[in-house]
Amino acid sequence: MPAEPIIAIRQVTKRFPGVVALENVSLEILPGELHAICGENGAGKSTLMKILSGVIADFEGELLLGGKPARFRNTRDAEAAGVSIIHQELNLVEQLSAAANVFLGREIRGWLGMRDDAAMERAATQLLRELECDVNPRTLAGNLRVGDQQLLEIAKALSLESDILIMDEPTSALTESEVSRLYRVIERLRKRGVTILYISHKMDEVFHLADRITVLRDGRTVKTLNKSETNAQQITHLMVGREIEAIDFGAERKTGEVLLKVSNLSLAWPGHARGYRLKDISFELRRGEVLGFAGLMGAGRTELLECLFGASEIRPQGTIELQGRPLQLRHPVDACREGIALVTEDRKRLGIFTAMNVGQNISLCTLDRTGSLGVIDGNREWQMANDVSQKLAVKTAGLTAAITSLSGGNQQKCIIGRWLLTEPKILLLDDPTRGVDVGAKAELYRLIDKLCRDGIGVIMTSSELPELLTVCDRILVLSEGNHTASFSRAEATEHKILEAATMGRKPAA
Amino acid sequence: MSSSDSRLSGSPSLLRTVLFSNEFALLVAIVLVVSFTGAVDSNHSYFTQGYDSLRDISRNVALLGIFALGAAVVIIAGGIDLSAGSTIAFCGVVCSSIMIALAPAASKSGQPVGALVITLAFAGTLLTGFFVGTLHTWLITSIRLPPFIATLATLVGLRSFARALCEYSTLHALNSKSSQIYVNDPVFTYLRQNVWVSVVVFLVLALVTWLVLSRTVLGRHLYALGGNEQASRLSGIRTENIKWAAYVYSAMTAAIAAIFYVANEGVAVPSNQARGHELNAIAAAVVGGCSLAGGIGTVPGTLLGAIFLRVVIDGVAKIIKTNADVYEGLIVGCVVVLAVTLTQLRQLLASGRQLFGGVRGLLAIPTLSITASIVALITLGPWIGLGVGVFTLVALSAVKIAEVQANRS
Repeated sequence: MPAEPIIAIRQVTKRFPGVVALENVSLEILPGELHAICGENGAGKSTLMKILSGVIADFEGELLLGGKPARFRNTRDAEAAGVSIIHQELNLVEQLSAAANVFLGREIRGWLGMRDDAAMERAATQLLRELECDVNPRTLAGNLRVGDQQLLEIAKALSLESDILIMDEPTSALTESEVSRLYRVIERLRKRGVTILYISHKMDEVFHLADRITVLRDGRTVKTLNKSETNAQQITHLMVGREIEAIDFGAERKTGEVLLKVSNLSLAWPGHARGYRLKDISFELRRGEVLGFAGLMGAGRTELLECLFGASEIRPQGTIELQGRPLQLRHPVDACREGIALVTEDRKRLGIFTAMNVGQNISLCTLDRTGSLGVIDGNREWQMANDVSQKLAVKTAGLTAAITSLSGGNQQKCIIGRWLLTEPKILLLDDPTRGVDVGAKAELYRLIDKLCRDGIGVIMTSSELPELLTVCDRILVLSEGNHTASFSRAEATEHKILEAATMGRKPAA
Repeated sequence: MSSSDSRLSGSPSLLRTVLFSNEFALLVAIVLVVSFTGAVDSNHSYFTQGYDSLRDISRNVALLGIFALGAAVVIIAGGIDLSAGSTIAFCGVVCSSIMIALAPAASKSGQPVGALVITLAFAGTLLTGFFVGTLHTWLITSIRLPPFIATLATLVGLRSFARALCEYSTLHALNSKSSQIYVNDPVFTYLRQNVWVSVVVFLVLALVTWLVLSRTVLGRHLYALGGNEQASRLSGIRTENIKWAAYVYSAMTAAIAAIFYVANEGVAVPSNQARGHELNAIAAAVVGGCSLAGGIGTVPGTLLGAIFLRVVIDGVAKIIKTNADVYEGLIVGCVVVLAVTLTQLRQLLASGRQLFGGVRGLLAIPTLSITASIVALITLGPWIGLGVGVFTLVALSAVKIAEVQANRS
């Protein structure tokens, strides 16, 4: 070894109720290198980063900083030791100015200990200019574009003079030009001697940037490799742990008549420069078809599904027809009544009820059917929940187990089960495999395929393109609220979709 | 498999669940408090005047419990209703105002006002509760006020409104402006003298609330709303309607309680009737295991919480005897903190968090010691006060030192 690792972990294990997120993970980061951490969702990347950045303080194993054992009790400890993290979901106070965010918690003080805003604004301007970010430091953070918000977080890390910077999937919300700016910023940081841990599962990024690559799988370190010794195929192979089964989930699926016809759907966005979240979206969904929506973060995928479910804050314009009949969706209740079901993107926040058990989480939408006059028939409820949980092979200690004791994939199955009990005609799946491990993903794909063959129409979104390519019959691409392209299964490639997703406004319209 | 296993409301192991439940702990605590009071009270009134003591406690439990049930339902639904005390005062004035307006002569002379007038007065009172609850729901769901603000506004506003209404109705019905309305009707006298009526009303309400919460769709939706409002909406629950049910129920239980308050005191006094009692109701619910974050809580817990609170207050009165009401708030405050701390003690210890960590923790030690010392000094004399203060200081310091040691190793 040429140099002493600047930060290292040895035999780290972290357990959450019901899951082991990390098991005996060891990792050494050398000073000045850009070390990429690769792994599927649920491989333990985020947990590892949270340990390195002090977000998670209790774990088994050792953390070494410059060769000495260290223990971060919180993020402040980690920052003091020179470790900063830029989370995938940015941590900014949107109501405060850019400068105030950069210096949050470490405000510059002047005369009599009063806050010195002018000095902070000067310093912030200086930092942001280094990052090619040309924003007024007085702008509220919430009014900045996602790419600029991210640079704000990097500026914060720079102002801390961090030696180690952790970036968690930093490009997931960026347009192409923002990505290349980020690459230049990373280059500049490396010249200053900053060590970077770069979390990603995008092979092109990893091979463009990294010196060394560590692959995680199911909470274990698989291997650390020098970039020169490996290639993208090998890394992908290590990430998945087996050849990706080349099951064609859509094989010989027959689509039927048009179930849903959406014409010129628009959703306003008051108070935003663009003025709309969605603009003139039109498409059809057939019985037995899986329609995929691709797009970057903030492209309007979730908003579109919310419109179709009657869940948007503002009522959308345009028409939605179900089997030729126009729908008035004022409230999710209306959508449920029409046989439309939505499995939400953010399972923790919008899907599960943590205070309820597995069975109650499953039965919630169909309690009316268990008994009469609004009284729940407990036996009948148990029966229904039990049937569906067995059908979907939910792994649980029992229906009365806490929902939080289940893994992400099994929680997701419970929520899908909740909606299957309502016997929907159309199933809307918003990024259904987020935070679900590889094995469970394949199960979910198979389930989606089976539902389609039973005659349900499925609309799904995903943050992972390969997933859409595997599962969907057709893929529509959204970019900043516009529908920029449509591809059939045969036509679609990752490259074409990405191009359409970063296109911005449709050139002609 | 037993039949309880096939119900999702049941729990895996009954005995374990019962022994570790909040309800069981409360039951033990109630028995302990009653035994302690019975032993320490120098008059031994629990033995010598057992029936009277039981009657007093029952009346007070019923009076608090009736609207504590409403508070619990709102808390389970993820809200808070601070207005109960003022709603009681307001409904009391409405009830008595209807009586003096419809039967001024009989009211003045203390004659029965008649069944029709009584029925109308009761109906008007309940209707008032319904409208107060509806107003709360409108403020919360349409104006989008936080429940705390909406019910804080009515907490302040309704009491003042009640006083104004009281002066107006006494002036016009009885030709003399007054800040209170006496109620001498035999129905109210009967309610005052027969405590069982309020107890039965309380128990029936508790039973109905328990059935609704544990056996109906509405009940499950109340828990769902409190547990995760967004997810509830996205599950096709009309969350506004569920909130409406919760706040209307809370205000209507306050209206029912108002009738018993007026009957008990023989008068509607808008300026201070049930003043501050909304906090006792919230305390009963919280001590009974309701989580202010919503989604958690039971009727048996709330019932026991109300009993526990009243038993403690009664115990203080029995032991201190003179001016006991001065200490009521202090004791209730301590009891709420202790009860909720104890229910969370296991998580607190498991989390490894320090009780007296940092400067804040260090400063809490003298604060607690001095408070304990002064309370003991006032109630039990200077030497005992000093002793209690020193003991608390030593005990808490020992905990602090143990924590520092544990942290070092």
